Amino acid sequence: MGKRFTLTWDKFGSNSEKLFNRSRIFGQFKRIWIVKDVGALRRAAKNFSRRKMRGLMVIIALGFSMAIMISIPAGIMANQEATQHLTENFNSTITSMQEEINKTATLIECRTSGRSMSSGMPMGMPPFGQEERFINETVIADIASMDGIKDIVRFLEQSSEETTSETISEPGGRTFTISRPLYTIMGVSLNSSLISGYSILPANITAGRNLCDGDSRVLIMSSNLSDYLGLQVGDKIEVYGESFTVVGICEVSRQGRMETRVVYMSIFDAQTITGNSGNVSRLDIYAEDVSDVDVIADYIEAVYPELYVTTYQDRLESLSSMQTMYSTTLENAESTLAQTQSLATQEIIVVIAATSLIILFVMLYTVRERTREIGTLKALGFSNWNIMSQFMLEGILISLVAGVAGIAIGSLGAPFLSSLLLPHVSLFGGSSSGGFRPGFGSTNPVVIGSETAAATLSLPLVLLAFGAAVLLGALGSLYPAWRAAKIKPAEAMRYE
Amino acid sequence: MSELILKTEKLTKVYNMGKRKVTAISGLDLQISKGEFVAIMGPSGSGKTTLLNVLGCLDKPTGGTLLLDKVNVSELHEKKLCEIRRNKIGFVFQTFNLLPYLNAKENVELPMECTKRSKSEREKRARELLAMVGLSGREEHRPQKLSAGEQQRVAIARALANDPAIVLADEPTGNLDSQNKYEIVRLLGNLNITKGTTIVMVTHDSQIASQSERVLLLSDGKIMKEKQGLHLVKKKLMCPYCGSRIQLSDVRCPSCRKRL
Repeated sequence: MGKRFTLTWDKFGSNSEKLFNRSRIFGQFKRIWIVKDVGALRRAAKNFSRRKMRGLMVIIALGFSMAIMISIPAGIMANQEATQHLTENFNSTITSMQEEINKTATLIECRTSGRSMSSGMPMGMPPFGQEERFINETVIADIASMDGIKDIVRFLEQSSEETTSETISEPGGRTFTISRPLYTIMGVSLNSSLISGYSILPANITAGRNLCDGDSRVLIMSSNLSDYLGLQVGDKIEVYGESFTVVGICEVSRQGRMETRVVYMSIFDAQTITGNSGNVSRLDIYAEDVSDVDVIADYIEAVYPELYVTTYQDRLESLSSMQTMYSTTLENAESTLAQTQSLATQEIIVVIAATSLIILFVMLYTVRERTREIGTLKALGFSNWNIMSQFMLEGILISLVAGVAGIAIGSLGAPFLSSLLLPHVSLFGGSSSGGFRPGFGSTNPVVIGSETAAATLSLPLVLLAFGAAVLLGALGSLYPAWRAAKIKPAEAMRYE
Repeated sequence: MSELILKTEKLTKVYNMGKRKVTAISGLDLQISKGEFVAIMGPSGSGKTTLLNVLGCLDKPTGGTLLLDKVNVSELHEKKLCEIRRNKIGFVFQTFNLLPYLNAKENVELPMECTKRSKSEREKRARELLAMVGLSGREEHRPQKLSAGEQQRVAIARALANDPAIVLADEPTGNLDSQNKYEIVRLLGNLNITKGTTIVMVTHDSQIASQSERVLLLSDGKIMKEKQGLHLVKKKLMCPYCGSRIQLSDVRCPSCRKRL
């Protein structure tokens, strides 16, 4: 054992006789290692600071390479996360819609305008620039006289008088300004048997109470509206010149770019204040049995052509078309991601090559410039190994400092750098629930959910960058250091 | 004759310049004893620097033997040569070759870095050596803050760091004005007298060469002529010009006022 040690350590230093002595072995180890005292390291640091401007330029150049090296994986990770998020959203949206549709198999929805088709949740968007139309309640009596009708729920949907102008930014960086009503008034029947039997009122009350039978001149509003107006439960609000008390605040489940702000009140109040007495904008007709749905729907469509009728079947079709569309979006997102990844791999290889080349050239130049110094050191008794480790250490030191600079640049500029270097992945998809509309290709695309990929640096990534810095420093300075070690002292002394 | 520190027999160095062969040293026999102060003179191209490089193990001879402190150096390979350079030889260069980013003390510590001396020992020795060459108080100065003469003093202190058997000085006064030239050669002479350091100095300046104890005239890679220098007399603390007693610290002879 001792023999083996002797042989091994002897390569690096003399005096290997008493190697059984532990401290001696350690001493020999220190001898091999450049850090035996910090002379080489200190020289490396001093040398680096000797040419401040050049050092700074090298650090900036390398720093940017390093920043790119960490920004790209950060961007990829963000894109992966966004895609995964999108998939999850998509799946849960489809599931919840499916459930909603299944629950309301007997529902025949009749609207006065064809802009929206809600699956039971009365939270559609108001039609931009489209006239709001109404039908008279007298039709209810006519429809109700049909066989197989269980219940008819009336809704009056009306835009607020106030409008807001909002700027919407797309993930692509485009922005546009739209003007829309401040909120939508949703007048609902507060008949206790209806509100307990069907999902008419919002389910998610976060403050105060829900509406109940007999409520008058009170309303509940969506949290986005209460936030916008700075109102709380118990506050008063003027709607169409009439004073209302806020009794509850409900959560809007939709996470789209443009959330609808809604107030719910009794349909009687809504009709009165908007001057629409006897008018409704939507009827939810519930059949006794699923088998009756088609007959009833056909009848309504035939007698009242101004009504847009949708049934369970229509909603299923719409869901499946939405599913197809979402799948396409997802596939696109995934294939973009795959392309992005392969591009990122190429870019990283290029950056690694560039970084090592920068280090290589800088170190080669340094070695050339300091040929005399190398000759002197050799004349003073420095071994090839001493010289080589000196220059390796310098290369690693440069890349370490550059690594710190890279992390600094990267932490500030990772989103920018990754969006600059990677194709832009804009992902649109579904949210957990909410109204959707069939015509996605229409002029005003409603984005139900969107994901923007913002690259952020994580700790493992930073550690990886440091590892890469050391590795590249060693890699790039290997050849120059070897060249330096192989310089013949006599020739080096002649070198000018 | 005292102990031989350096001995060459038929030492030859031939450079291959493409197809042409250039003989820099041809069959040179040389013996230098311990404690000698030898100057090698010769016109440019006579092989002075090549000889010094071969003697200093910076270059390998093509033929012949070189015994340094009784070790046949011509047979050793690079790893051992590096140890010899570190422990047996001190170099002084014409262009001083101090590392510009290290101060005087750190430059002197440099050759000790690869030895077993501890950091504090090294610092202590560097201070002592700098004091010996008359630079105490200037340990923290970087080379650019020192005059040419002072830089060469630092270089001499550095050459002495590992207690070498022999100091090889290649045109040590070549880059200095006449005032500094004499100071440096006097410093080398005094070190030779007080410390018994063996010194081999290459120069083309006959004034400087004559300050040594033995001057070898080199021509076409051979020693053509050998003569005595003034140093032998100085060693006895006598003025070589008038024979009166002198002190080592004297710059001029107290009686004849000639520069020593």
